[in-house]
Amino acid sequence: MKFKALFQSLVVVGSIAALSACSAPGNGSSGQNSPNGMSSGQGGAQASGVGDDARFSDGARHNALLAKRTYYFNYDSADIQDEYKPAIFANADFLIAHPHASIILEGHTDPRGSREYNVALGERRANAVAALMKSKGVNASQIRVVSYGAERLAVSGRSEHDFQLDRRVVVVFAQ
Amino acid sequence: MRKLLIVFLAICLSSVSSAWAMLSMELTQGVFGAVPIAIVPFAIQGQTPPQDVAAIISNDLQNSGRFKVWTKNQLTQFPASVSEVSFDYFKTVGVDNAVIGKIEQVDGYYTVKVELLDVAKGKNHAALPEIVLFEQKFNANPAELRALAHHISDQIYQTITGVRGVFSTRLAYVVVRQAARGAPHYFLEVSDQDGYNPRPLLNSSDPIMSPAWSPNGKQIAYVSFENKKSAIYIEEVASGQRNRVSGFPGINGAPAWSPDGKKLAVVLSKSGSPNIYILDLASHHLTQLTNDYYINTEPTWSPLNNSIAFTSNRSGSPQIYQINLQTRAVTRLTYDGKYNARASFTADGNHLIMLNQDGGLYNVGFLDLDAGVFRILTHFNADSESPSIAPNGTMALFGTLYQGKSVLGMVSVDGHIQIRLPALDGEVQDPAWSPFLS
Repeated sequence: MKFKALFQSLVVVGSIAALSACSAPGNGSSGQNSPNGMSSGQGGAQASGVGDDARFSDGARHNALLAKRTYYFNYDSADIQDEYKPAIFANADFLIAHPHASIILEGHTDPRGSREYNVALGERRANAVAALMKSKGVNASQIRVVSYGAERLAVSGRSEHDFQLDRRVVVVFAQ
Repeated sequence: MRKLLIVFLAICLSSVSSAWAMLSMELTQGVFGAVPIAIVPFAIQGQTPPQDVAAIISNDLQNSGRFKVWTKNQLTQFPASVSEVSFDYFKTVGVDNAVIGKIEQVDGYYTVKVELLDVAKGKNHAALPEIVLFEQKFNANPAELRALAHHISDQIYQTITGVRGVFSTRLAYVVVRQAARGAPHYFLEVSDQDGYNPRPLLNSSDPIMSPAWSPNGKQIAYVSFENKKSAIYIEEVASGQRNRVSGFPGINGAPAWSPDGKKLAVVLSKSGSPNIYILDLASHHLTQLTNDYYINTEPTWSPLNNSIAFTSNRSGSPQIYQINLQTRAVTRLTYDGKYNARASFTADGNHLIMLNQDGGLYNVGFLDLDAGVFRILTHFNADSESPSIAPNGTMALFGTLYQGKSVLGMVSVDGHIQIRLPALDGEVQDPAWSPFLS
């Protein structure tokens, strides 16, 4: 009995180790990157150019991008839309330049559907943004992900437009 | 602004001490052929008791949807013992059964005598033994009268329908109240099954979700996001004492008790994606059940066999699957609709209720696992969420929308009885029906 319990715990530890070694959680959604921190996605390569450009040649534009910390998603999707990538990279650049700064990535969904399933969906969205930032070179220890699912809606309404505003990832800088 | 906050807190605190209902009950649709029954106001000897026992019984039975109740305002004769009953009178009224009783004040408590009569069998004033379906006497202190009334309702319900009543059970739910400045505040509350006696178990400026009653009804497991992290807590309902039982990085969600109350199935994403684990509450030992990159969540224990049903999107959209805890073999249970989630078994293990969507609104669905027959229970023009089954398997409790607010609703598993539980204030969501408590 005792041996069995020990064996089970070894199996669990082993499987956790195996999973953490394989950090990309994806089944083909965007924002998945190779473990060495290099971006493998086409969108990532394009957007990193915008980020560099902003950093060195256009401070005002960079600030505007840095201030953009809410990224919206399509229904039942964790794919990052191209329009948000420059802002995500601007925030990534800030974290790289300030290694002691850290962020919480809050994942959210619209109110429809099952609450716990929505928590899982929200985490996928936040993880996608985290993966994109890490691909840029942000240290994993600077990012923490929390998914609120549908528990912290952006707006209380239930129109398609309201739902669109609810489906989001928000960057919150730690105080 | 501070003043407003104090007022707000005062309102909250006053709600804690009073016995009024946070939720009220409105029967919006009952069954065809509801059992006609007279609940005669009880004769009072001595001081008037603080609770109108007969009125509570009347409300219980009327709101169950299975009875058509005649009481104080519909009756003209008020017998308190069998010898006073005119059976002809009740036949004229049109009821098959009548409840009569007496409440006598003795020192600090009350003696309640209640009889359920089969008045259809009676002739004139002849009191035949088979007329009295039950006759019982209880002693109760003033604070216990309401619970006693629910207990009597349970007995009447069971005697007439053959099914154990749920009037003595409780509900747990989350209330979201918008404070003066707009920041939401979250309360985990427990009330009687009829919405009375609401008591807060937790209040937080961060979300609270997924309350789950332990099989003995003494504890509630839930998810709380305090400190901006999800964690699973187990709280003693009576004392409010609580322990954090799961606080891993990422998701700590969807707690579900094993039938013996010794284990908790939980969802953790510490591996990178949400998977289902079993947490042994005594040893804190974790066993991983699912191990893939899909979403696996909302475990629920089968009361029949050694298996757990759960939600997974492994086939693209969320559907309900069942995993055998011995062999780890996984089978798919739901095929009706694009979206099936948040399942729970009825006590007999042969049926499943779940959240179902097939391109339109989200509804409560009911699946007969033996026959494979699926039906939608909530034909409302609003989304539903978080279905939870009554311990006698007759009704589902769920969250829905009414007049732009989140409210609770109940629907019978045959779809015929519909009950709305509007809230006095705030948005009420994510309900869980307790097990039988005695």
